[in-house]
Amino acid sequence: MTELPVVASPGAAVSSEFAELASDERIAKAAAALERNGIRPLLAATGAGARGLVGSLLADGAEVYNNTSQTLEATGIADDIERSGRYQPLRLRLYRMDREMQRREMRTLAASPDYVVGSVHALTEGGSLLIASASGSQLGPLVSGAGQVILVIGAQKIVSDVAAGMRRIYEYCYPLEDARARQAYAVPSGVNNILIINKVLAPGRVTAIIVNERLGF
Amino acid sequence: MSMFDYDARPVTPGVVLVGTQASRGGYAIRDFLSRNGYPFEWVDAGQPDAVRAVLGAAEVEPSALPLCILPDGSRLASATVEQVAAGLGMVAAPSLPEYDLTIVGAGPAGLAAAVNAASEGLRTVVVEAVAPGGQAGTTSMIENYLGFPNGISGSELATRATVQARRFGAELLLARPLTGVSADGPGYVAGLSDGTLIRGRAVLFASGVEWRRLEVPGVDDLLGAGVYYGAGPSEALACTDSQVVVVGGGNSAGQAVVRFSRYARQVTLLVRGRDLGASMSQYLIDQVSAIPNVDVRVGTQVVGLEADDRLRAVNVRSGDSTEPGRWPADALFICIGGAPRTDGAAGIGLATNTAGYLMTGSDVARDPGSNWPLPREPLPLETNLPGVFAAGDVRCGSVKRCSAAIGEGSMAVALVHRRLAEVGGD
Repeated sequence: MTELPVVASPGAAVSSEFAELASDERIAKAAAALERNGIRPLLAATGAGARGLVGSLLADGAEVYNNTSQTLEATGIADDIERSGRYQPLRLRLYRMDREMQRREMRTLAASPDYVVGSVHALTEGGSLLIASASGSQLGPLVSGAGQVILVIGAQKIVSDVAAGMRRIYEYCYPLEDARARQAYAVPSGVNNILIINKVLAPGRVTAIIVNERLGF
Repeated sequence: MSMFDYDARPVTPGVVLVGTQASRGGYAIRDFLSRNGYPFEWVDAGQPDAVRAVLGAAEVEPSALPLCILPDGSRLASATVEQVAAGLGMVAAPSLPEYDLTIVGAGPAGLAAAVNAASEGLRTVVVEAVAPGGQAGTTSMIENYLGFPNGISGSELATRATVQARRFGAELLLARPLTGVSADGPGYVAGLSDGTLIRGRAVLFASGVEWRRLEVPGVDDLLGAGVYYGAGPSEALACTDSQVVVVGGGNSAGQAVVRFSRYARQVTLLVRGRDLGASMSQYLIDQVSAIPNVDVRVGTQVVGLEADDRLRAVNVRSGDSTEPGRWPADALFICIGGAPRTDGAAGIGLATNTAGYLMTGSDVARDPGSNWPLPREPLPLETNLPGVFAAGDVRCGSVKRCSAAIGEGSMAVALVHRRLAEVGGD
């Protein structure tokens, strides 16, 4: 493993290097690599298209956990999950639980939803997915806890390789997420946990929707 | 901040409620939202910065409180539970002109009946005045329910049961109390407070019990302002570092003590009787006894309250002492016994015992005053009106335990089948 990049200081200006949409050629390359790695790739031209795809993939009445994600918010997918009434939105159920008395129920409920819907911080041209998390609570279901995983990925998140993906997390995503967390929750964020998915053994368990639009960060 | 505070916060706008902590109306809405599983943000009207953050102005007209902001941004001034329920789209009309079974009450007995009836193909509707779960829904942790070795909270049990009932096709009509039932051929018509009429071929009363009133001067004036009936799960956070008094000797009181002891500085359990074991399960007695910030006082009862704009102290009398003692208290939770919830049943002639619980089966058969009209004996959970059944806490002679109510609710469905076969069409 190469040495980790240096964490950008909070409030630092972020590079535009990681904000550019990937070309159609790189999108196709990443999609083909995902398929080789056991991850079903779907392509959407717009966020609205991705929203429709997610709706078609989720079963009515299912327990769905929407990860904290600017992408899901921007596309309206979070709203569909939490407010449409079509699903059992676990985020709402968890939020109202008694932190003292129901900690165990919260842990087990969050760990094994029917579906987890989220995004990633980087997708490599070799078909690896990189996801960072401050608390880490969202990572377990992605790896094995959730029955199905749906990831919505703006095409600006495509990078050449894992090393570039790590740089994207530390130098680009972290400062933006830290600023968001301070504003939204009055706490700093942190690159405390990083998940790299190189290959998925269960066929069809993970779907990655690449959107040809800048979504999230 | 725990891991889940960061990751479980709703992404989309929720309900915002602005009010004063000592407001009875505000408490009613908090309790309603909490028990129905709606996440909400409570904003104390006395905190200008917090008020400005949600309203854009530091002050709000007192007459507009409680003020409720719905997820779509609309505002309800002087909001009521009924307005909030309607604004959240919770008030649905029945989808069918007639049902095989109308269940009154969505506590453990009602939900168990709904799951079993709907899963067996009966057209099933449940009417509930407040929220699914009944008294058990506010229970912090049920540890003796079969199949959950680590316990299950009442709210989680209610949530799962509600999902299960709906998955089988049962309809739940919430937030409107039953106002009456009348005969309709061999079936019955149930009326709700908003005028909705529901035609059912059979009716199951699983309406449970409500807390018995504490007969102490000032209690009614302080409801929501430091005095609460039941365990008040919506108030747990507000009890942080406070002094809490719980009145009652049953499992509900014990579970309330366990819950509030996690938040409060001190919890005092006042029990009128001298033996806690007479009414509380041993596992709860053991738990309560082992919590360091809990003080149990048996042979003690509340005789008065001290308050300004909210509760400040509880006056108690113990044993043979003639002088009342004084306990500083920020909150008083009353969990004493129960009174049967049969308001909507009045007028149709359901037989009850002297305490008001619905008589069923052999009790009806033995009571000449119940006027049983058929040549056959009443079925085990059948009231004195053929096709009207009762299950759970509201039934005379029931065991006041969650698992027993679930058993009765399940059993009632088999009896409903027999009644429907009798009148044809099952």
